[in-house]
Amino acid sequence: MHLLIAFKAFFLVLFNGAVARLVADVLRRRHEEPRLPEAKREAIAELPSAPAKPTAPKPARSEAITLLAALQREGRFVDFLKEVLSGFRDAQRGAVARDLHRDCGKVVERMFAIQPILSDAEGASVEVPSGFDAGRYRLVGNVSGTPPFRGALVHHGWQATACELPAWVGGEASSRVIAPIEVEVK
Amino acid sequence: MAKYVIGIDLGTTNSVLAYTPLDVERPQVEVLAIPQNIAATVEGLTTLPSFLYLAPEHEQGLDLPWSNAPRYVAGEGARRRAAETPDRTVAAAKSWLAHSRVDRHQPILPWNAPADVEKVSPVTASQRYLEHLVGAWNFAMPDAPLAEQPVVLTVPASFDAAARELTREAALAAGLPQEFVLVEEPQAAVYNWLDDLGDRWRRVLTVGDTLLVCDVGGGTTDLTLVSVSEENGELALRRLAVGNHLLVGGDNMDLALAHFAAGKFAEQGVELDPWQSVSLWHSCRAAKEELLASGGKKKHTITVAGRGSKLIGKSKSVEVERDEALELLMNGFFPQCAVTDRPARQRVSGFQEIGLPFEADTGITRHLAAFLQSHGHEGEPARPTQVLFNGGVFKAAGLQERVLEVLGEWFSGGKRGAKKEQDAPAPPQRLAGAHDLDHAVARGATVYGWSKARGGVRIRGGTARSYYVGIESSGLAIPGAPRPLRALCVVPIGMEEGTETDVPSGEIGLVVGEPAHFRFFSSSTRKDDKPGDLVASWSPEEIAESDSLEATLPAEDTQEDYVPVKFRSKITELGMFELWCVATKGEQRWKLEFSVREDAES
Repeated sequence: MHLLIAFKAFFLVLFNGAVARLVADVLRRRHEEPRLPEAKREAIAELPSAPAKPTAPKPARSEAITLLAALQREGRFVDFLKEVLSGFRDAQRGAVARDLHRDCGKVVERMFAIQPILSDAEGASVEVPSGFDAGRYRLVGNVSGTPPFRGALVHHGWQATACELPAWVGGEASSRVIAPIEVEVK
Repeated sequence: MAKYVIGIDLGTTNSVLAYTPLDVERPQVEVLAIPQNIAATVEGLTTLPSFLYLAPEHEQGLDLPWSNAPRYVAGEGARRRAAETPDRTVAAAKSWLAHSRVDRHQPILPWNAPADVEKVSPVTASQRYLEHLVGAWNFAMPDAPLAEQPVVLTVPASFDAAARELTREAALAAGLPQEFVLVEEPQAAVYNWLDDLGDRWRRVLTVGDTLLVCDVGGGTTDLTLVSVSEENGELALRRLAVGNHLLVGGDNMDLALAHFAAGKFAEQGVELDPWQSVSLWHSCRAAKEELLASGGKKKHTITVAGRGSKLIGKSKSVEVERDEALELLMNGFFPQCAVTDRPARQRVSGFQEIGLPFEADTGITRHLAAFLQSHGHEGEPARPTQVLFNGGVFKAAGLQERVLEVLGEWFSGGKRGAKKEQDAPAPPQRLAGAHDLDHAVARGATVYGWSKARGGVRIRGGTARSYYVGIESSGLAIPGAPRPLRALCVVPIGMEEGTETDVPSGEIGLVVGEPAHFRFFSSSTRKDDKPGDLVASWSPEEIAESDSLEATLPAEDTQEDYVPVKFRSKITELGMFELWCVATKGEQRWKLEFSVREDAES
């Protein structure tokens, strides 16, 4: 029963922002207090049941494998990495790189919607506020004193404005498969 | 309880679902991310490609969050399979819906698939796409089931009454609410534009303007004219005319470019297998957009990856000259032509194998010329002042420019940018504002549904076509010659939704207990025909035959063997056409149904 709920919840969290926020809230509160407040409990009781009844819980697969599989399927990413580059002319590599760049770029964009963290031009003078998040800024050069700091922007940083990886619904035996064996039946 | 308004664009190549909360001051339209199964993973995408993959029995991993172990896949996963296993992939089901020479209830798709594939009918395929959208919605919004929300579904303006009826049938089977509303796709695109601009639209369009909606999708071209007039001191929009159903679109362009590139590969001695050909087709879609962007490079390299794991080693490239490709695409699909030009009519035999009646003339601008000519006045073509573009084809900005350029030559006697004469009217302009090429139709359908419930600007226009029933004229029978057929007008162009009308005619005798058949016709150009008018002769471009209508009078309804009736036609509030036989004596009436089966060629 728990597995069934977990399965439903997995998809609901994945595709329904409201439910995702609710679950995040519940998880947070679990650490804070053992009992949920009344209102929250009601909200959870109303958690909708999906119309279909999946019978077996699905085996999980690492999302990293799912990402690799998508990059390979749509952009031949793994084929590219596994290929020995020596022996090809730059024009040949370039021709392949162009398509790979386009197709893998689309996958990454769709799943992560990558944006620069700062919109300032590189080289511009920027301020690092006091109390800055060390995960967002990497200070290089002569760092001394206390923030705020001022310095030249070397790299504007990247961040994923989304993180929407596909959910795996395949069988356990193939959970490590990045690209299936392909056989053309004549 | 209705909480949202839902707009669904059931496209030939892509379907989209948009929605807005009902209880808001202005529509707040969002596009739903539709979970779909792609190679055993479920990913949410804003478009559901209208492809259906019929899986062989051993295949697993087709699950969706709301459906366990289905035997088919709809959407992006299916579109990808179209390349690898074309015999098991249904495409362009919607074009088949409008193809009255086949029985659209029979399992005929994928066309020409081997006998062991369990085929589906065009109606069932459409139903599957809609079921997928319904499932996605109900999963995302479990507290607001789709069946309880107001739903607007779009159809091509060029769909006739029979194709609309089949769409409705598929939609109801998929779980749309009984009272869902149909709206024409180009109109939906206009509603989206109106919503985007808000009140500012009144500054962009003025009285006397004529808006051309030029919608070129993957497989079809749909043209519509909307006029701007003043009614009771308010700007009013009225749909003036719609074009015929044209089976030519962006996919044809990609294929033409792919065919061209394949020739270049052949020159190098490289033969492409079917899988590579499809991959070439996809590369050409991207290449087309780059080639048609103004200021592109002189040469464009098109690469086809090898099939095995060796990517670089087996990849082959050819160079395509930009000028050559432009020549092929522009002159093949958007040629410079005169407004008096007509599309060529003879069929190209090669296309017929595919089963669908593709257009013999792929020159979209020639079809546009014919459309404007047939809706003009006194020999002058209809003259649009603004153009709203829709459909993925126009992502290639060069094509928008070409359409405007051609229109400019037709209507201002010179090239755009050339020095104008003093009183020459301004050439047609691109309608100011955003043209959302992929999602406008679904979004606009949502806006329409919302304004139907909450009030707002509406496009008037009634039916886009007039409808006719074939009546064999009486008189002396000539042995060996069929009795001459005349067309009795039962619905005029512009008949408003929610109205009905008696059709004046002589009495028509129906035999009790046997199905009565009526040949059925429609026209998008005969504006002056009134109900009861009899048309004696017509050309195929003017009046086209559709699916026949059928009624059976049950014997228990009457004591007589033979009942004299007259027709009464009705356009429902939902935009559906109904034709009734009303007994001239007594109160009885019988509804005529489309009999799709009878017309199919065996």
